[in-house]
Amino acid sequence: MKKFLFLAMALCFLWSTAEAADTIKIGLMAPLTGSYASEGKEMKQVVELLAADLNAKGGLLGKKVELITDDDGSDAKTAALAAQRLTTKGVMAVIGTYGSSVTEASQGILNEAKIIQIANGSTAIRLSEKGLKYFYRSCPRDDEQGKVAVAAIEKMKVKKVAILHDNSTYAKGLADEVKPQLEKKGMKIVFFDALTKGERDYSASLTKMKGAGPDLVFFTGYYEEAGLLLKQKKEMKWTVPFLGGDATYNVDLLKIAGKDAVAGFAFVMPSLPQYLPSKQAKDFLAAFKKKYGTEPTSPYSVLAGDGFRVITAAIAKTKTTDPDKLADYLHTKFKDKDGLTGTISFNAKGDRVGDVYRYYKFDSMGNIVLQK
Amino acid sequence: MEDFFQQLTNGLTIGSIYALVALGYTMVYGVLKLINFAHGDLFTIGAYLGLTLLTSMGLSDRLGPFLGIIVLVLMVMGLLAILGALLDRAAYRPLRESPRLSAVVSALGASIFLQNTVMLIYGARSQAYPADIIPMTALDIFGLYIPVARILVLVVSFILMAALYLYIQKTRVGTAIRAAAIDQGAARLMGIDVNRVILYVFLIGPALGGVAGVMVGLLYGQIQFTMGWAFGLKAFTAAILGGIGNIPGAMVGGILLGIIEALGAQYISIAWKDAIAFGVLILILIVRPTGLLGERVADKI
Amino acid sequence: MNKKLYIYGAISVLLAVAPFFLNAYWVDVLNMIGIYAILALSLNLIVGHAGLFNLGHAAFYAVGAYTAAILNTKFGIPILWLLPASALAAGLFALIIARPIIHLRGDYLCIATIGAGEIVRIALINDIFGITGGPNGIFGIARPVVFDFVIRRPHEFYYFIWLFVAVTIFFFRRLENSRFGRALNYLREDEVAAEGSGINTTHYKLGCFVLGAAWAGMAGDIFAAKMTIIAPESFNFWESVVMFAIVILGGSGSIPGVLLGSFLFVGLPEMFRDFADARMMIFGLAMIIMMIFRTQGILPPTPRTYPVEITEKARVHG
Repeated sequence: MKKFLFLAMALCFLWSTAEAADTIKIGLMAPLTGSYASEGKEMKQVVELLAADLNAKGGLLGKKVELITDDDGSDAKTAALAAQRLTTKGVMAVIGTYGSSVTEASQGILNEAKIIQIANGSTAIRLSEKGLKYFYRSCPRDDEQGKVAVAAIEKMKVKKVAILHDNSTYAKGLADEVKPQLEKKGMKIVFFDALTKGERDYSASLTKMKGAGPDLVFFTGYYEEAGLLLKQKKEMKWTVPFLGGDATYNVDLLKIAGKDAVAGFAFVMPSLPQYLPSKQAKDFLAAFKKKYGTEPTSPYSVLAGDGFRVITAAIAKTKTTDPDKLADYLHTKFKDKDGLTGTISFNAKGDRVGDVYRYYKFDSMGNIVLQK
Repeated sequence: MEDFFQQLTNGLTIGSIYALVALGYTMVYGVLKLINFAHGDLFTIGAYLGLTLLTSMGLSDRLGPFLGIIVLVLMVMGLLAILGALLDRAAYRPLRESPRLSAVVSALGASIFLQNTVMLIYGARSQAYPADIIPMTALDIFGLYIPVARILVLVVSFILMAALYLYIQKTRVGTAIRAAAIDQGAARLMGIDVNRVILYVFLIGPALGGVAGVMVGLLYGQIQFTMGWAFGLKAFTAAILGGIGNIPGAMVGGILLGIIEALGAQYISIAWKDAIAFGVLILILIVRPTGLLGERVADKI
Repeated sequence: MNKKLYIYGAISVLLAVAPFFLNAYWVDVLNMIGIYAILALSLNLIVGHAGLFNLGHAAFYAVGAYTAAILNTKFGIPILWLLPASALAAGLFALIIARPIIHLRGDYLCIATIGAGEIVRIALINDIFGITGGPNGIFGIARPVVFDFVIRRPHEFYYFIWLFVAVTIFFFRRLENSRFGRALNYLREDEVAAEGSGINTTHYKLGCFVLGAAWAGMAGDIFAAKMTIIAPESFNFWESVVMFAIVILGGSGSIPGVLLGSFLFVGLPEMFRDFADARMMIFGLAMIIMMIFRTQGILPPTPRTYPVEITEKARVHG
């Protein structure tokens, strides 16, 4: 026990002395282990790429940008420790993280330490309702997504809707957001239940849903389950249309379900750089592909990249790393027309404003088509 | 009523996979009285190795889908048997003479190690099996749609289970395994090499887990490094349900668990499905404290 | 004996001054270690002393945490006053759950407790009775207040948590040497003989389950106060596994062992952070290796010794 403590202390001294002020330190908190590790690793790739690019162009305010990545393990407790660790490393801003409840555990710690946090995947509404001065997010909120989803469902002219979520904070939030709105529009919710994440066989859930006889199934969970649901639905020869929330899309969806099963699957999602006309988006895609061999698979990793671009652009513009000045600037004056996911600016709560969501559909060849 | 039978077949499919994995738990437990928590991860490794062999060697192109899959399954079984024996040598054998719970913690460590090793080698993204190996057609039997792939899985697992049952009941090695399970000391006195028996158990159990992994990959198309944890817990539950240490018990337990889950999802709630399954398990244990087919152990006087 | 006393004294002093030398992050790691130490010590009574294979301890931890969180956020009762309420709720819950399954043997008890833990987690996630907040959990739990002083920062929590650890150690140390503790050990070694010597084994088993659960419930209260938000995922099967592994790895039935186990189990993954995504793999390997080299746990309990005073009479006859 003693040895451990001495070691711990020694390490702390080492770390605290290593803190020199010749770089601008930016933290990235991402799920590098655990069930969302694939998303987290891509976030790291995206942000590392952007940081390397920025440093190659001369850095910020004459200093290099140093990226400090920490694992939140998709778990609130680990995230609280990761946030605490980042505060001791002299970062002036933190990008991340993915899950809403995980972000929530880090919010208070970072805000108290006056560190600007730009979450990239946490869409739960309440995160920005607490009046935290230094909290921002590059992803839109659930109510924004709910609105787009409701509009899309309305256009489909369906009467009976089944809503399926997976009891994660995000999926449940979106399902709860959409349900009353659809009921208000006169649609009947014939099924509202949650599957268990991480299983392979969803035929029991599908059989039960089929029995309820919906005209449309709205699945608010993640792409792994979406892929399996689509595939097994196809196997059952059930032809009901599926609509997905923004976590249902990932390049791997096509691989899991196959293009026959995925044809006609519609989903709402923030625009991917693949579908944006701007030069920044195209350059980023090319650079990413050159370095890692593939295109980014998840919109959230690109949103992490946007978080990094936002904070570095704000520092370059205000020529300061003072959190209060930066927070004011981000709340009121900041506007980036060339974000990797479209135009970015923030409201007084730190939420991203503007319509970020698009409505897409798979055609029979497995291509994604933007719907008007 | 149609839904009932549909759910019954759904439960049967997933249950037969639980049963295959449960056999690995129950065989190791029978001989060593050890809950091998790493068994679920061996199952995952089976699925990943199957994918690697399938894509790198082009088995199904060269040999046709039917023969290709058989060769694939045999190769995975062989590799997993070796891995199982290695795992025993490295993590369990040094703990043979120590308190039982110490070996359980070593098994938990092995589980964490294997799961994260898979993540580091294959990456954290879920991987997909090639979709075109097993046809996506479904048979229409009295208005029930039963996909062909599921029937195949069912048939394969029943064949494997029957083969294992005969092996354990009829052969010399099988008899030795049963003897060692009843009383290791007495078996040793009868001239049975218990270390060999343990080796056999660690060859057969992981091999069956590996087959289950390949079948999950072929049937559902998607595999993930974390899936062993969930499948393992279910399979362990199934083994206990049937009476751990008892081989037919694991088969019955697995299939029963699958059916309970499917019917629970249909008639109560999908979200509560697992809670229902565990609830039924606890109720069964209250009535039959050693599972459905487990021997009643007499208290020593 | 004296040498041991010096070591413990030195460690206590070291722990008392540690926050002055450590940054906020490491103090918070020590806080987490403290919470796990409380949990593992409570589980040690069940697993270590009575030999009951409990892999569902997180359920009681969860019941305590949710009791505190619900009463605090709904009725505004200060979180520290809720310590007894958490203990009571968790203890009562343990009584209800354990009563029908307590007679199960070894591994059957293990799966029954796993099942109970999973049922609790699923119930919390599905917002049972509409009070647990579903997957979001409960947020906005008030900070603990001691005489108008709000405990907020990591090093303030540090003294609060480790004071509680000290109380826990003292309590379980006394319990170990009590009639109750000795009866549990007897029962672990030989249930039939214990029954034969007039020990009501069911009573004692239930008693230790309830007591261990109640203590875990208080740890839940502290955890809720520390995090200010709790969600079902903090009480999953993995948490039970961690507590169990701490007890066995540290040395089942030994208080210093369990404390050391908490340091290793919570501390090591933090020290491996620089390995990024390989950290859990290394940790798993470390678990196997530690278990192989210390098969009884790192600091197994020393056999009980009782000083027997040799009286004049005994010497004559002996």
